[in-house]
Amino acid sequence: MIALVDCNNFFVSCERVFRPELEGKPVVVLSNNDGCVVSRSNESKALGIKMCTPFYKIRHLAENGSIVACSSNYALYGDLSARVMSILADAVPKVEIYSVDEAYLHLDGISEDMMPGLCRSIASKVRKWVGIPVSIGVAPTKTLAKIASHFAKTYKGYGGVCMINTEQKRVKALELTPIEEVWGVGRKLAPKMAGWGISTAMDFAARPREWVDRKLGLHGVRTWEELGGRGCIEAEKEDRRKSICTSRSFADMTGELQDLSQRVSDFAARCARKLREEGSAAGEVTVFLHTNRFRYDMEQYCPYVTMRLDVPANSTAEIVGTALKALRLIWRQGYMYKKAGVIVGDIVASDAVQPAMFDFDGELREKNDRISRVMDAVNGSGKSDGNSLLRLASQRPGNYSEGIRSDYRSNRYSTSLDEIIEVH
Amino acid sequence: MTDEKKAQEDVLPAMAHDGIHAGFPSPATDYMQQAIDLNKELVKHPAATFYGRVVGDSMIDAGVEEGDILVIDRALEAREGDMAVCFVDGEFTLKHIHYTENGLRLVPANSRYPEIEVVEGVDFIMWGVVTYVIKKVR
Repeated sequence: MIALVDCNNFFVSCERVFRPELEGKPVVVLSNNDGCVVSRSNESKALGIKMCTPFYKIRHLAENGSIVACSSNYALYGDLSARVMSILADAVPKVEIYSVDEAYLHLDGISEDMMPGLCRSIASKVRKWVGIPVSIGVAPTKTLAKIASHFAKTYKGYGGVCMINTEQKRVKALELTPIEEVWGVGRKLAPKMAGWGISTAMDFAARPREWVDRKLGLHGVRTWEELGGRGCIEAEKEDRRKSICTSRSFADMTGELQDLSQRVSDFAARCARKLREEGSAAGEVTVFLHTNRFRYDMEQYCPYVTMRLDVPANSTAEIVGTALKALRLIWRQGYMYKKAGVIVGDIVASDAVQPAMFDFDGELREKNDRISRVMDAVNGSGKSDGNSLLRLASQRPGNYSEGIRSDYRSNRYSTSLDEIIEVH
Repeated sequence: MTDEKKAQEDVLPAMAHDGIHAGFPSPATDYMQQAIDLNKELVKHPAATFYGRVVGDSMIDAGVEEGDILVIDRALEAREGDMAVCFVDGEFTLKHIHYTENGLRLVPANSRYPEIEVVEGVDFIMWGVVTYVIKKVR
């Protein structure tokens, strides 16, 4: 069985940890530059504010006090996310971090009667320790676990944990789930589904396999199998073991995040270049750190984490960005690291990348790919990225962008000593 | 432990050697220990630990002054007499916790400030237990 842990309204919940007075109020968090709404409290949802609403359309509500708008505070969200993930990693043997606010727990070896209790204790620990409410869905496959977590979040009666462990529950859950809410079915695909007379997940799951294969190909069949309770997203992954690893032992140990960020950026950039050289793209990025195992006098810590990309990628921007996210999740203060590395895995030929089933930004992808081609042309091949003429700005230390509009940013309560809470 | 983790830990470097030394080794090497790390000493639950800055003098008799840094551990359950960060009336406040028959009493360490009785209906959050107070003396 697999559990999906999903942080409720994550960015809004992060703001509420340090501003408890926002509890129960309509709150929205805005994207970079205060562009549009990226996270909403339940109260904001109830007011009819949609995801991605441009801020200028609701600015008057913020100004007259009917809603509270917050600029995004990624230092805060990143730190709280890492805390949540570390609690999950302590609770079960295998955690797969899917995004900043979602992670899959592999529950192999845990008896089914124990699972609801275990999940409830995880949820209450995350809530107490970090202050973030989570919903947990348990099911035989990732796609079903995602659906279960949605039920756990939507219906109070579940107490935050919903388990799909019988055929009856599976059928009922699929009947109640609109097809566009199924993981892997983008909004673009929903009208097509409607055209075929499919409106719920059950309608889709009830079609014959051959039909799904003919209409949607491999990705469609995968989703169909997953909805049937037959896990295949992971099985697929196990088959392809091919990966590229770039790692180094350091001459001097380092404990600094900034130091490690630069090195990990370089390793990731190198992996991205190798992918492009061989015309392939990676579906996941793993980052690992090692302390010095021969220093028995020092605390040892060898974390690693794998992050999945929605669509396999090979651009420097995407691979480096993902690697840095991963690094921030595993890095802990107080250890001296001797080695770091980046592994890109789940490799496919770049012309075999199939974005059709997913809702993703094709334009951004095209832009990133173009930038990478220019970088390759200018930098030439064979040179190490450390000496490259063209590098990503994100590889440089200091990740706070100057000049970006963030009129409503809260303090970086957990990462900057000058901005911690005031206690009277 | 997962296989991947194990695989990573099983990798040994080709050479593990601390260089070739001429002359006597330093007699101090035998006594090498890691320096004291306050992070490790003061923070028992890194995922649950946050910091706060003291404003005002409501806990002055307990030796807590304006500007002090509080180490706040949210993993702990408050025990009788603990110092805790609470959220009452729209602000964070530092108080001693006393359990009563009806609920809680939040007690300041300064007679000029009132005690707060927490009974049902009072808007109150126990935010975290204070484990250390860090003071700048120079």
